[in-house]
Amino acid sequence: MQRREFMRAVVSAAAAPTVLLGQQQNTAAPTPPAPVPWTAGLNPSTPVPTAEIAEAVAEGAPRFFTPAQMATLTRLSDLLLPPIGSKPGAVAAGVPGFLDFFVGSSPADRKQMYQGGLDWLDSEAKKKYSKPFAQLDAEQADTLLKPWLRTWMSDHPPMEKHADFVNVAHADIRAASINSKPWSDAPAAGAQEKTQVALYWYPIEPDPYCTRSMATPQPKRGAKPTQPGTEIRRNY
Amino acid sequence: MRQEQAEVLIIGSGHAGGMAAKILTEKGISCLMLNAGPIVDVARNAERKPAYELPYRGFKPPGRLAHVFQSNEFNANVWVDEEEVPYTFAPQNPYNWVRVRLFGGRSLFWSRQSFRLSDYEFKAKSKDGFGEDWPIGLEDVAPYYSRVEEIFQVYGKPEGLPQYPDGNFVIDENPWPTSMLRFAEAGKKIGVPVCRQRSSHGRDGLASSINLLLPDAFATGKLEAVENAVVRNLTVDKNTGLINGANFVDRLSRREMTVKAKRVVLAAGTLESTRLLMNSGLANSSGVMGHYLMDQIYGAGITCSVPEARGGKATRELMGGSALVPRFRNIDTKADGFLRGYALNVTSSLSALEARNFAAYGAELQKKMDEYYGSAFHMTIMGEVLGRYENLVRINKDVVDAWGIPVLDIQTKYTDNEYNMAKDAVKTAVAMSESAGFEVLSKNEMPNPPGYSIHEVGTCRMGNDPKTSVLNKWNQSHDIKNLFVVDGACFTSAGWQNPTMSILALSMRASEYMAEQIRQGNI
Repeated sequence: MQRREFMRAVVSAAAAPTVLLGQQQNTAAPTPPAPVPWTAGLNPSTPVPTAEIAEAVAEGAPRFFTPAQMATLTRLSDLLLPPIGSKPGAVAAGVPGFLDFFVGSSPADRKQMYQGGLDWLDSEAKKKYSKPFAQLDAEQADTLLKPWLRTWMSDHPPMEKHADFVNVAHADIRAASINSKPWSDAPAAGAQEKTQVALYWYPIEPDPYCTRSMATPQPKRGAKPTQPGTEIRRNY
Repeated sequence: MRQEQAEVLIIGSGHAGGMAAKILTEKGISCLMLNAGPIVDVARNAERKPAYELPYRGFKPPGRLAHVFQSNEFNANVWVDEEEVPYTFAPQNPYNWVRVRLFGGRSLFWSRQSFRLSDYEFKAKSKDGFGEDWPIGLEDVAPYYSRVEEIFQVYGKPEGLPQYPDGNFVIDENPWPTSMLRFAEAGKKIGVPVCRQRSSHGRDGLASSINLLLPDAFATGKLEAVENAVVRNLTVDKNTGLINGANFVDRLSRREMTVKAKRVVLAAGTLESTRLLMNSGLANSSGVMGHYLMDQIYGAGITCSVPEARGGKATRELMGGSALVPRFRNIDTKADGFLRGYALNVTSSLSALEARNFAAYGAELQKKMDEYYGSAFHMTIMGEVLGRYENLVRINKDVVDAWGIPVLDIQTKYTDNEYNMAKDAVKTAVAMSESAGFEVLSKNEMPNPPGYSIHEVGTCRMGNDPKTSVLNKWNQSHDIKNLFVVDGACFTSAGWQNPTMSILALSMRASEYMAEQIRQGNI
């Protein structure tokens, strides 16, 4: 039997006694024979437990960025998306910790762009102001960031060195903030963006025997393109 | 096990396979449909969730679906995983193969733009000398387009332009907002037509094989369907040379299965149909199978702001709606630097402009976004990719998918024709926008990688000459007369148009021809 049909069969078996009882109430139905199937208790009147998201009650363990990179990322997050109105800034939205997890789980090209970008920002700060990026004031940091800001269209972030990191990190920091629970919980003012709420698709009849290791790895990305525009554009 | 042969075996359940099933079963012919993936039950398989409840806050799960730019964490599980069913390509020429194996295939998720091809596509070679003409013209397909448009409830408006053939539309009389009228006026000044969009409304907001085609086929009692049936190869009767069935593997149990059939309709999607034929070693006496892979260039375009809509002044009278600029290059005049042409999708929105349209951050950015809210006006390209022999797919025997089936190696790249077209599109869009008084905020001339449009066509092109084409003008194999390929693989040229209406019309036409051939006892 297909699993779906099996599930339907289970559900209808569970529902059947109630329906039958309902229909028989006027005719003094006999007590159903014991024991009642336990699945009869899995009905809409049994409340489903509620759960918090882990981030609401716990800290993620840092695992990828160095302490210096983390300090730079935290300052960068605070500068690019500070608290505005009632909305939390990127730091209160837990973005540095999230990006440590997210970038640390990512393919090498994203890792390298973030590590290289954070190290570059820190060294620029030391060169120009003789202190780490994490200790720059907003005006000082602006002189390092502003020259690299670009406007761009989706799937086509700037490819130029430094501009790529600044603009992609900016987009990532914003998206990770806006899609956080603290952002969602706070009221918006003006045109502040909304947390994405959408139809999430669970794995559909996943193949229990499929192991990803059976598959052949893709050719390595990042080799020199021979045609402009055909390289993968930072779409992970 | 059943002994008798299926009258017709249909492989694939999307628009092409769904239409074949509807037409054939309604003519009383029993069909067996195999689909590589499972049936979707949205109530069971999907749930509305906020991004913060997902592990990656809505970001695409790292390392997955690198070539599906359309994917994100919400929809990651609907696409074919490129590690489960890999394909290969030269590292400098990546290909975005975007696949769905759920029952109904990509018909579940398409954008629903609904266009006819014109004789500028069917007879393209006669007009500019490049490539091949189709063995059919608009007049051959028009009656089928009309019936498809009826089924799919295509909204549109007659425009009287030969390159944008009118059809059997539900007339769209929605008045255009003034920003769109200004844009159309700007087009008129330089001879660029700005027309109504044409879009399938289907039923209940869905225009899919699942709700518009397959229910009719099942209602006849003549359609049987099997899910999770991954077809390995077609089998051939050694005496007749005709196809007599298929071998498939059950996706979940890995059990090897065999089915017998008198005739086969391939509708697995352009590249899967070709892959299956190549893995079966069939129907390629011409040697052109796998060649002439085409699609459309997407990704180039511009984003503008309509100044009058800023500062909270965006209204429905001013903003919103959509339009289509049909191909206008190489119609009456000759463009510099490229053959054929492109269309522009034009949309205007009353919602936010994305942050990346402003070179600012923090409070300054938020101020910009507040100010510009509701003033967005976008143009994006849909450009014809030329059919070239060297843009091809072939079997890579060294790599297999999760079921041990050899995968496709895809060798394709864009040329100056496509790059020049993209540049021209951006230049034209900027000129029209500035003439309409809009502010251009961002632009991009670089097309996305080939395949991104999900409009891959060709590789089993149709033609009159069996030496230079795989299929005849009825989508029937020149080599094997009980084999029909009814999906996008049959295309001789790509056009700028979303291919769905053409795939549907050609599948309908081929299926009626097939039914008649069956009735006459020819196949």
